[in-house]
Amino acid sequence: METFEEFVKRILTILFWLIIVLPIIIFPILFLVVGLLGIDVIIVNEILTAAIDPLKAIKLAERYGLGFSSTFFKIAVFPGFTFAALIATFTILYERKLLAKVQLRVGPLYAGRFEGILQPIADLFKLLGKELVVPEKADKMFFWAAPILSIGLAASLLSVIPLSPTIYIARSEFSLLIPFAILGFSPLVVLIAAWASSNKFAFIGGLRALHQLAAYEIPMLLSILGIVILTGSFDLMKIVEAQKDIWFIFPQFLAAIIFYITILSELERIPFDLPEAETEIVSGWLTEYTGMHFGLLQLGVYMKFYALALLFTLLFLGGWNGPAFLPPIVWLLGKLFFVITIIIFPRAVLPRLRMDQLIRIGWAWLIALSFINIFIAVIESSLGII
Amino acid sequence: MTDVVFLVVSLLTVFFAILALESRELVYGAVALSLSFLGVAGLFILLDSLYIAIFQVLVYIGSIAILIVFVIMLVRRDKWANVTSGNERILGIIAAVLLFSTMTYFSLSSSLTSQYPNPAAISDFYEIGSQLINDYWLILQLTGLALAVSIVGALTMAKFENR
Repeated sequence: METFEEFVKRILTILFWLIIVLPIIIFPILFLVVGLLGIDVIIVNEILTAAIDPLKAIKLAERYGLGFSSTFFKIAVFPGFTFAALIATFTILYERKLLAKVQLRVGPLYAGRFEGILQPIADLFKLLGKELVVPEKADKMFFWAAPILSIGLAASLLSVIPLSPTIYIARSEFSLLIPFAILGFSPLVVLIAAWASSNKFAFIGGLRALHQLAAYEIPMLLSILGIVILTGSFDLMKIVEAQKDIWFIFPQFLAAIIFYITILSELERIPFDLPEAETEIVSGWLTEYTGMHFGLLQLGVYMKFYALALLFTLLFLGGWNGPAFLPPIVWLLGKLFFVITIIIFPRAVLPRLRMDQLIRIGWAWLIALSFINIFIAVIESSLGII
Repeated sequence: MTDVVFLVVSLLTVFFAILALESRELVYGAVALSLSFLGVAGLFILLDSLYIAIFQVLVYIGSIAILIVFVIMLVRRDKWANVTSGNERILGIIAAVLLFSTMTYFSLSSSLTSQYPNPAAISDFYEIGSQLINDYWLILQLTGLALAVSIVGALTMAKFENR
């Protein structure tokens, strides 16, 4: 049996020998071929030196319009996909450690020297090494489409959510509404995954997810209407600017609670994890997914987690507003960490709801409470509190 | 450029609409229907009304397509009427052609003839809201009344079915 550290050691050894062998054997052959074919040697030289020199790589990228300020970099790396995926993997590790500490276990411990800090990387390699099993009776096209759609939707949620006055991918006048419009697709992805698996557990899980997502989308949208009434804008930038003096969690406390409960339900977390209740229906609509398919679905769910936690921070906790001795992005990430913690926490202590309780809470309580919240917002704005 | 995008989006919309009607598998039909709604939202974006496009996605894909999926999954297959007999098909085609021609005639004869409308006049949601409340309040109230009546009707039907 190879432990994870031995595995890393083996990879590093291979890399070391590759670096020794490259200049002695492969580079001369490469330049010989390039010279014989008559390609400009300088370009090849530039690409090869950029491969080992990060500064030159940055310059080369900037020359071809892929630098730090380009749209491609924004979408693919910093406020966009890679950053979100890193936060999502961090969330998975943090969730496992936090739940373990609450329940007096140790959680991930061995990968990495300190408290299992390399566990997400080990999990990634494990998932990459697993076989992709597609059931014989499954609808192949839909079965493959579901993981890709899941991660695509989760990533496109982030397209209009700003991280600070200067760090954003795209600005829109309706940046509050666009994420909710994209969230409307998520029942469709669950339906595709559940139906394509042609498995009874998956199908029951998919039906439960449809019920749940349809019931909780309406109070989610209604609960933010109070903030729209108070600020008179759908622009997240303006909403955060309006919270300079007072965070909206104080005048809109009811809305914050409703939004928090609907986040738990949209992410199918305990106590709302009926679609994947593992003690009843194996793993719900994820039952038939293996290997990297499962990894992509899971990453999609956790990127959605990041996007919704970010929305909660921007709407109720004042976003990047804070004393000026720290840059705005640090304030935002600190608040985001707090929100992620309170979203994870119920999983450690609460049991699962029954289906009838879930439906009653969604349709009877949350929608009525969010209408009451709209009246509160109207009264506050006419009294001139905000 | 806009014309190419318009052509592609409208062709996709029509393609998915036909697929939604003709596909044998009902789930394919539901997915095609929601993609067709998405195409309509794309047409609204081309007309510079992002606000209406967002609500098209929110209402039609987020709610109506999902409700249709519910009905498909909860009702048994054999309960669906099999509409393949010739008469009904011809009647349906005639009705669709009549509806299309009247709508085309009235929209062409109306004042909405310019291809690219003024973007500043459309995308303002304040304007939409104030017109709904001030000018079209009667229609708003009547729509609310119709919705309330249909909910009461549905409740009554559900109650009688349970007995």
